[in-house]
This record gives sequence, structure tokens and C-alpha cells, in this order.
Amino acid sequence: MRLRHPRAPWRSALALVAAVWIGSIGTSGEARAEYADVVINNYSDAAGMRPVIFPHWFHRIRFRCKVCHADLGFQFKAGGNEINMVKIIDGQFCGACHNGDIAWSVENCNLCHSGKPGTPTQVHESTIQKLAIQPQAGGQQ
Amino acid sequence: MIRTLRNPAVALGALCCTLFATGTALAQQDKGKAVYDKVCVACHSAGIAGAPRLGDAKAWAPRIKTGIDTLYGSALKGKAPAMPAKGGATDLPDADIKAAVDYMVAAAKDGGSGAAATAPAAAAPAAAAAAATKPRPAALSFNRLLKPASKRNPPPPEDGIHDPQNDGTHALQPPLQVFESLPRSNAGNRVDWVKALDNNLIAPRWDRTDPAAAPVVMDLNIVREVKGSMPDVVYPHKQHTAWLDCSNCHPQIFIPQKGANQISMAAILLGQKCGVCHGKVAFPVSECRICHSKKKNVMPVKNAQAN
Repeated sequence: MRLRHPRAPWRSALALVAAVWIGSIGTSGEARAEYADVVINNYSDAAGMRPVIFPHWFHRIRFRCKVCHADLGFQFKAGGNEINMVKIIDGQFCGACHNGDIAWSVENCNLCHSGKPGTPTQVHESTIQKLAIQPQAGGQQ
Repeated sequence: MIRTLRNPAVALGALCCTLFATGTALAQQDKGKAVYDKVCVACHSAGIAGAPRLGDAKAWAPRIKTGIDTLYGSALKGKAPAMPAKGGATDLPDADIKAAVDYMVAAAKDGGSGAAATAPAAAAPAAAAAAATKPRPAALSFNRLLKPASKRNPPPPEDGIHDPQNDGTHALQPPLQVFESLPRSNAGNRVDWVKALDNNLIAPRWDRTDPAAAPVVMDLNIVREVKGSMPDVVYPHKQHTAWLDCSNCHPQIFIPQKGANQISMAAILLGQKCGVCHGKVAFPVSECRICHSKKKNVMPVKNAQAN
């Protein structure tokens, strides 16, 4: 960056700030949430909401993997399901249970949208995240 | 004072007393923290059922005003609506519970007026204490890249991913509240989920709405011979079909035919094949021997000549 744009020091400064910021999210020792907590930030940041954190540990006590990953069609990929609130209200994905019938309903925005703003989509504590040398900054999908 | 200090013996005695007092105070503080971490944390970390949160000066101030003995009383005998006697740990001695109260009160004062105001009376020995308790720089920690045991399974507001500014975060269940009653393992959530299910400690539903639905468990082991010195892999359908549907793995991830799948640890590490779950939600790849569990039939090595 610096080599290519010697006359635009602000660019390298910006890149440096961005790198440090992304690095601090993906690799800092600060984050120590549960193994398999999934952060979903496809649209949240842009919409001014906190990212969603899905705790696998809490749900697997109540449901087997099959219920969500076979019956409800959740792909095995963080952020790979393009979930939005319309789908949830229509009873798809999270909305299949979070409907006020099986589990609490969508009015409890902040129970799901509880992540620190700017946290990237990730499977927390996944093998790739735990590699001492990160293959890429900012965690993985 | 000056006269006292002129006598070196008296001065030394006074110094010893101060150091001893500091030591006891510190030990007491440690004990309080230990009890808090074990018992009180379940509610007082997240503020469950109206419990004042650790370090929340506003919530603690009116309680502290009632006097330390009232607080001791509430902790020992319980308090409506939700505080059980001794926080539920009735087997602990009164002194331990009092130490935990002291610890939480000190934390509330810390939170309110900064670290400097912890104990004005202890200002003089503070310098000596600071030397003893000053945290070492991270560069000198035993293994700077490894997560220390004290930082495992923290409650959501302290886990670095949840936003503590968000009211919903504090309503979420702290994982340890559940994990303590489940069999432990050495990795992942540090819970042995397969064992928890086998022992009926958890009853996850097989169907979204029908609590009585049960999986059709298939008890079939697939042995995969591996190159190199590692034991062969035994893949048990049994544990997998207890959680998953056939369609979760077949045919997209694994072609249901022996010998048809190329699997390598490199692929697994990158999140493919077994790595779709293992290393993300099921036990991670650090637990080599759970999979690599079948000892190879090795030809006996003739090492007589080497000797």
C-alpha cells in the first residue's frame, strides 16, 4: 500500500488503522466467548443493530443438531443462511421456534442482537480462529 | 512516632505487624474472590433476579448504606425475593460468605470512585501490597498465546463478544451455571456432550414440537485405515445419528460408500469433511485420540541388533 501510493500518506494511515482495528477484533486475547458461539453480522451493522450471537451450547441442550440443520434448513456455515427479520417473522429459520410459542418471540431484540458492534461474522473459537498465526485478519466465516 | 522510629527493634516490629496485616487482608480478599467466583457469580455477575452486579456502584450504594452487618445477614440468611441463604452454598462456613460480601462491597466501591479509594486505611502498606499483587506484563506470562484456565466459560457480559452495554446481554444465561452439572471434557465448551446425552443429563428434542420423538440410532462403526503411525480412525454412526439426520452428512459431505471419500487432516483443519462440525461445534481436532482410536497391527520390530 505504502509503496504503491507514496503520495497519499492518509491512505496508508487509514489502512494501518483498519488493520489494527480488524486485527484487534479477530485476534485479540480479549474475546473468550463460548466455543461454537456464532456471530452473524450480515446486515446488522449496516442496519444500526448489534450483531447477532447464536449460542450453540444453549440450543444443543434443548434440541439435537437435526432439528435446525435438517428440518429447518440451516446450512453449516456462519452467515451462510441470509437470515433477515422478515423470514423470521414469517416462521423461517429462528422464527420456527422464536414465535412466542416454543420460545420467546421477536420483540426481545436485544437478547439476540447482543454482540459488540463491528464484530465480524464468525464461529467463535473455531479451529481456524485458534491457529496461533491467523491465515487472515478478522477471523473466518 | 519519630522516637519510635529511632528504636530499630520497635520499628522492625511495627513493620512486621503492618506486613502481616497486609498479608491477612490480601488472603481474606483472595478467599472472598474465590467464593464469589464459585458461588455468587451465578447471579451477581449478570444481575439475575435483581441481584446487584459485581462492581455496579449505583446498585450497591443503598445496600452498603444499610451497614456491613445487614449485608452479612442478608448473605448468610438469604433475602427475598431471590437470594438464598449463603447463596445456596450452605456447606460453606460463615467466614467465607462474609469474605465474599467484603469482596463484592470492595468491588462496588472500586467501581464507584476508582481503584484508589479501595481502602484508605491501608494507604501506607499499599506500596508493599502493590509490589506483591501487581499483574505481570503479558509478555512474561507462562504461555502468552494460550487462554488461561481462569478465562474459560465467562458469563456473557465478560466474554469480549457480547456487548456489556446491552441490557439483553445481562439477561443471558451464564454457561457455567449449566456446565457445572454436566460431564467435563478437555476442549471446546469443556463439556462432554455425548456423555451428557448418553447419561440422560440433557434431553434435547429430536423434533421441534414433539418432545417424545426419538431418533433412529444406527450402530455401525466405519474403520478408516490411515497412513503413518497414527492409530486408525473408528467412525461411530451411533453417536452421530443420536444428534444428526443422515441427510446432514450424506451425500453432500460424505459419499455413503466405503473408500469413496478422500479425507485429510488438512481438509479437516480448514473446515471440510469432519471439520464441518469438528473444530466448530463438535469436539475439536486437538482431541486426536477420540477418533484415532484403533491400534494398528504393527509387525514386531526386530531391535535386537540395535542393542
